[in-house]
This record gives sequence, C-alpha cells and structure tokens, in this order.
Amino acid sequence: MGVILEVKNLTKKYGGLTAVNDFSFEIKRGEFVGLIGPNGAGKTTVFNLISGFETPTSGRIRFDGVDITGWKPFKIVNQGIARTFQLVRSFKFLSLLDNISVPSLSKRGKEVSRKLGTDQYASSILASVGLVDKARIPPIILPHGDLRKLQIGKAIGTNPELLLLDEPFSGLSYEEKLVITDLIKRLHDDGVTIFITGHVLRELMALVPRVIAMHMGKFIVEGPPKEVANNKIVLEAYLGRGEAFA
Amino acid sequence: MEKPFLVMEKAKKKIKIHKFSEKVKGVPSYLKDWALTFRGGVTILCLVVFFLFPLITQNVFYLQVIILCLIYSIFAGSWDLLAGYTGKVSFGHAIFFGISAYAYSAFTKFNNFSWWLSLIIGIIYALVLGFLIGIVCLRLKGPYLALGTMTIGLLFQNLFKMGPLKPLLWGDEGIPNVPTLSPNSVVVYYTILIIMVISFIIMIQITKSDMGTIFKSIRDDETGSEASGINTTKYKIIAFMISAAFAGLAGGFFAMYNRSVNPLIYQPLYSFMVLIMTALGGIATISGSILGAFTWVILSQILEELHTLDIAANPILDAFTTPAFVFSIMLILIIRFVSEGILSKALEKLKEGWDILLGR
Amino acid sequence: MIEEIIIYGAVQGSVYALLALGYSLVYGVGGVLNLAHGSYYLIATYAFYITWLQFQGIFGFYIGMILGLIVSTILGTISYFVIIKPLEEHEISMLMGTFALGFFIEQLVIAILDPKFHYLPPIWDQNITVLGVVLQLHWIIIILVSIIIVILVIIFINKSKMGKSIRAVSQDREAALLMGINADRVLLYTVMLSALLAGIASVLYTPVDMVASYKGWPVLTGAIAIVILGGMGSISGSVIGAFILGYARILTDYLIDPVYSSLIPVIVIIIILIVRPRGLFGKKEID
Repeated sequence: MGVILEVKNLTKKYGGLTAVNDFSFEIKRGEFVGLIGPNGAGKTTVFNLISGFETPTSGRIRFDGVDITGWKPFKIVNQGIARTFQLVRSFKFLSLLDNISVPSLSKRGKEVSRKLGTDQYASSILASVGLVDKARIPPIILPHGDLRKLQIGKAIGTNPELLLLDEPFSGLSYEEKLVITDLIKRLHDDGVTIFITGHVLRELMALVPRVIAMHMGKFIVEGPPKEVANNKIVLEAYLGRGEAFA
Repeated sequence: MEKPFLVMEKAKKKIKIHKFSEKVKGVPSYLKDWALTFRGGVTILCLVVFFLFPLITQNVFYLQVIILCLIYSIFAGSWDLLAGYTGKVSFGHAIFFGISAYAYSAFTKFNNFSWWLSLIIGIIYALVLGFLIGIVCLRLKGPYLALGTMTIGLLFQNLFKMGPLKPLLWGDEGIPNVPTLSPNSVVVYYTILIIMVISFIIMIQITKSDMGTIFKSIRDDETGSEASGINTTKYKIIAFMISAAFAGLAGGFFAMYNRSVNPLIYQPLYSFMVLIMTALGGIATISGSILGAFTWVILSQILEELHTLDIAANPILDAFTTPAFVFSIMLILIIRFVSEGILSKALEKLKEGWDILLGR
Repeated sequence: MIEEIIIYGAVQGSVYALLALGYSLVYGVGGVLNLAHGSYYLIATYAFYITWLQFQGIFGFYIGMILGLIVSTILGTISYFVIIKPLEEHEISMLMGTFALGFFIEQLVIAILDPKFHYLPPIWDQNITVLGVVLQLHWIIIILVSIIIVILVIIFINKSKMGKSIRAVSQDREAALLMGINADRVLLYTVMLSALLAGIASVLYTPVDMVASYKGWPVLTGAIAIVILGGMGSISGSVIGAFILGYARILTDYLIDPVYSSLIPVIVIIIILIVRPRGLFGKKEID
C-alpha cells in the first residue's frame, strides 16, 4: 500500500493572516482518514489547496508520485482527486441525471462512462447514492440530505482514487447521517481512499481508524481517534473554544 | 362531466390526426412525435408560412422586413447561446455583429470576393475576435464581463469613427454601396431563410449535446463544474467563439441587407437589442430569440408608422412611439416582473390550448 | 500653454471627481454598477436647457441650474425604487435594468426636445487672469465649486450620522444591519446623492460643453474608468483618479490630438480589467 497523498510544509498566507502553517502529512492508498479541528482551524483551506482551488504560498503536494502543486482544479480532478464542498452546491437547473452527467463528461469520467454510455453510467451512480427515482428532478426543490448525496454522486462521477469530503454531515438529520455514513463506507470498501473533515467529533471518531488534528493552521497530532482525543493540545483547542467534545 | 358533443368533437379530431399520420409513413417516428408537440407543430407551421411567403407576395418591402427579422433572429440566438446556456452575459455583442459586417462589406466591395466567401471571412473575423475578447473578458465575474464587453464595444465604435484611422477603418461614413448576393429580393430571402434554419438547427443541437450540458453546468455552478473535472476556461472560450461566429453570420447578412455599414453598428443600442429580443422570447430557449427578433422588428415598424403620423401632433405620443424608448420600458418591465420572457408565458397559454385541442 | 493645461486639466478633473465620487459611493454601499449613472447627468442637462429656453436670460440660466439639480435627484430616486431596489438580488438583471434606463432617458430627452445639438449661453464669460492666463470666469467657478462640493461630501461622510452609516454599510453590510442601520435607506440616499452630484457636474459643465443626447455614455465610461482606476468604493481613489484621468485627457488634447482623448476612459477600463481588477486604491475586490 503505497502513499497516495503527500503534503509537505503546506503554507497559505493571506496578507498578514496565516491560514495554514507548515502543514505536513501523508495518506496511504486505501486509507480512511479524518481531519479534525475547531471551526476556523484551516481544514477547508487545506482541502482547497489540495484540490487546486487555492494556490499554496509555499509547500508541495504530491499525488500518487506526481507533484500537483499549483495545478488547476480540473486537472487535479482528472488526476484522480475529487472533492465535495462544505456548502452544498449543485447545477441548479439541470436534472439530477444531468448533474451526474457533467463529471462523467470530464476527461477522466469519460474513460469510464464511455463503455456504458453517459446516461447509463450516470444512472448507476444515482442508484448507488439512492437518488435514481428522482433522476429527472432538478436540485432546487430537493431537501438538504438529497443534495449531500448528490454531491457525493458527482464526486464519484469522476472515478476518483482519492475523495475529499468536506463536512459531509453538516445540516443532516440523524437518519440522513446514517445513510451518508453507509455510502461513504461502501465507497471505502470499493477501494477509494477517503479523507474527511469535520468539527463535530463524535461521528468522525467512530468512523475513521486514523485522525489528523489541526488548530490555527498548524498540525497538532495524528493517530487513532482515542489517542488524539486525549491529546492535551487538542483538548485545549476544543475546550478553549467552547466546543462540545464527545 | 363532459357534454357528449364535445367528446364527439375531440374523438373526430383524434381520428383525423391519426389518419394523417398514417399517410406520413416515411417520416421517422421521433419526428412525427415532435411534430405533434406544441413546439413542433408551431415550428412546422412557421416554416411552411415562411417558405411560402414569397409566393403570396412579391412586395419587396415585406420581404425586406422578414429578412431583417431572420437576420436579427440569428443575432439574438447567438446571444442566448452564450448568456442563456453558458451564463455569460455580454453587453457588447455588437462587436462581432459589426466586425463581420465590415469584413463582408470590405471584401465584397474592394476585393471583389463572392458574397459567400466574404461572409465566411466575416465569420472568421468574428471567431478570432471572439477568441481574443474571450481570453480577456471571460475571467471576469458577471457584472465585470458585461462591463468589459460593453466597453470594448464603445472602443470599437470610437476606433471606427476616428478620423486619423480613416485609411484603415473608413471613419464616420463607413462603407457605402455594399454589394448584395442578388438584386432579386426573393433569392436573398430564400438564401437567408435556409441559412437561418440551418443555423438554428445547429444551435439547438449544440444545446442538446454533451457540450451543451457542459455549458449549462458552467452557467449553473462554474466552480462545481471545474470541480467535476471540466476545463471551464476552454469551454467558456468555445462558447464565446461559437456565439461570436453566429453573431458574425448575422452581421455579414446585415451588411448585405443594409447595403452599407458604418460605426453606428457598434453602438450600445445594437448590443442592447439582443438583450431585449432574448428577454422577450425567453432566455435559454434559443427559439425564443426568433420570437423576440420578430417582435422587435415588426413592433418597430408599426411604431415607425405611428411616429410619422404623429410628428407634428402630440409630443408625448411622439416620445412613446420611438422604438428604443418603448423597448427599454419593455425590458425594464420584463426584468422586473417576468423572468422567463413575456412571450414564453403567452406561449404556455397557447400550449395548453393546443393540448386541449389534441385531446390530452 | 502649460498654464492652460493646468487649468483645463483641473476643470476636467473636478467634473470627473463629482461624477466618480457618487458612482463610487453607490458601488461601495450597494455593490451596484449603475449603468444609468450617465442618465442623471443627461437629464440634468436637458432640464437645464429646456428651462432656460422657457425663461431666457440670466434668470432662466439660474432657474435652469436649480431645476437640473432637482430633476436629476428625482431621477435618482425613481431609479432606486423602480430598478435598483427590486433587482438588488439579481446582479445581471440589475445591469440590464440600469442599462435599459440609460437608453430610456436618452430616447426620452430626444423625444422631448430633438436629436440635435444645442448650446447654452456663456453667462460667466467675464475674463479673469489666473496664473498669467486669461480665461473665462466659468472655468474657475467649475473648479472652485467642485472642490467645495467634494470637500462638503467628504465632511458629510466623515462627520454626519448618515455619512457614518454610509461608511458602515460599505464596509460591512451585515454588521451595519445588526447595529440597526437601515441599509436600504442608506442606499437610497447614496443613490440620490450620486444623482445630485452628477446633476451638479452637469449644470456646471454643460454651459461650456454642449447639450447632446449621447452624453450619457461618455459620462458613464468616465465614471467607471475612474472608479476602477481608483478602486471601487474608495473616496480618495475616486478623487485622485478623477484628476489623473482629467489631466490625461487634456494632455492628449494638447500634445497629441483631441480625437484620441475620448478613447482614454475606455482604454483605461479595459487595461485595468485585464491587468489589475482591484484598481489602485480599492477596498473592495473585483472577485
């Protein structure tokens, strides 16, 4: 099991503000890793930097041996990294089926969808996230939980090797969370490497075998959830911020 | 509880339509189905009317009016492709319209090229300009894209008006006495009609194709599209260029219709025109632009008539019958109250009527 | 000749400052790129001229100026309620709506009067000598009045309650709302102010320029060029940018060829959009 993602000395500064500070870590192929930290710790920024939506001030990112630092987002997607967004987004006026068709029309997505045919491929993905009965409906009228499923479906559409999930549970009811958790576990079982963030810890800790903790842009500690949960700095970061710790 | 009489009438109509479709056996079924839809039926009706029109009247004036409608339809359709489907609103579409008009005029008049070759050259000019302006403007967000294109339009208007640039760009008077493809209006009419129909078939097929889906994804969520592995920059530029090309096609024909071209073709009014036409007919419909274009031209004609009648009389009526005046009010109203276009709403009503007619 | 350039450049700069200041404030407060800004100037021009036609003489001139200011402010108010406020959620519609208003007013003035060019009489044409140059009083009045108005506006923005509200809303609308500021009202007053300033610019400048229906567009592009140059929402940027543009135009007029000077605002906009969307001083980013 080789290293699929290697992040070295990742730094992002906005003028005087340092959002991510000399952050380094590795993820091995097939792993299921969590990224935790209180609100504002820099988790989404790290995701933005890995997925190409922001450019690092310094540091390097290697994906499967290839240096992807500073690449444009679509290129990174076509290398094999897909991501979801904290604030759910969708192609508002296209049907769900068309929503999934878009990623299957990407260079990487086409490699897979070509064999089945775009519609077939998109339908099968919709089915796997449990939305196939709403294939013709546009996202604007769907509930939040369905939109989260759709996002994951869109990410799957590009046939990724590494999936970055940014707060996939936020805003969901208990039942909806179970469904999404199940979906994510299935994806992991299928061989997709998953990197997931969250700041409500209970769900995350129960889900992932390894967790990386960050605070104020800096790496604090990594390891199995129980160890990380007992780490002094992590506790301070959360308790000091008044966050509920499960 | 429907009255028996009505039921009988509906049944009779159903039988009639059924018998007709039996006769048209050679036509593939999806076309037949399409023809029975509201859109299809109306389109076929319109096509028939327009193709037979010159047989009904050879009046040059009426032919010219329809020709202008057809030209503006292509122009408006090109804008809808970019704005309605790709979400990029340009306030300077007159640039492509105008550059092609100038190219057509120059090459037919001064180089003696044939009309179709000059037209193609005009389209190429528009394509290249579309590429250049696209690269510059497409990275700007919405309002700034609109601003940038509007400004470039003003730039072109000024450049082409300028005295010192006259040897290159013909200055204030532009190019008069531009050759046309034929002195016979009927020939011009049919040529433009056929090319217009082909253009619309192409544009509509584009919107239905995979590329169309990609365009729409850029419109609905550009970041999301990029996150789906789509090279949005590439596709935005492609959309811009295709749109520019069709605008150029319209522009070349316009120079032919107008028999001349001058810097006023770049003025904000022409860019504004496509906005209104598309808004009237329905944004993101492509076919709506045809409705909008016809409405603009025909309404303008009617207003011109009223205007000349009123000229000495009532100043208020005088004001109210200026086309741009009326249309700017209409645009303000449309934007405020109806997002899909007034005619779309009217069409929906008609569509319901059609369905009732067919007993659905 | 240098003295001429200095004076005339200052005239251009002053007029531009009035136009750009209002435009910049509206952008800062409401995020609105008001494409109808030129129409405030235009309608003031025509109201001024038509009034003068009615009353004639010096009396007509002064009444005309007052009416010009009133009419432009009224148009500003109307434009707020009819177009800006209803469309504030939808940027593109706002652009289209204000664009349409620009056309509407252009056609309106042509319809009310005629499409021809007209000229107002030179009322302040007494000669005075400044810096060794003999010029008409009018030019000096333009410069002085504009500077006074700009200073008044700056004082207003910094000291008065509404001025502080304006600054608050342009910095952070949410926070301002939370503090109980009625952001809608603030935007209304800002738009009215921008229309008034455009009206002042118009009544000052039209007598030495001309009455023409196309004038809305160069006013708009000038304002946009300056505000983009100086940074959207920045007062100092607008004033400095105004003078930069004013002098650039005069220098072009004198040293190259007047024909090119109308191109300058347009080229400035394009270059800045390409190179540095943030402008030179801007607080707000073009993101």
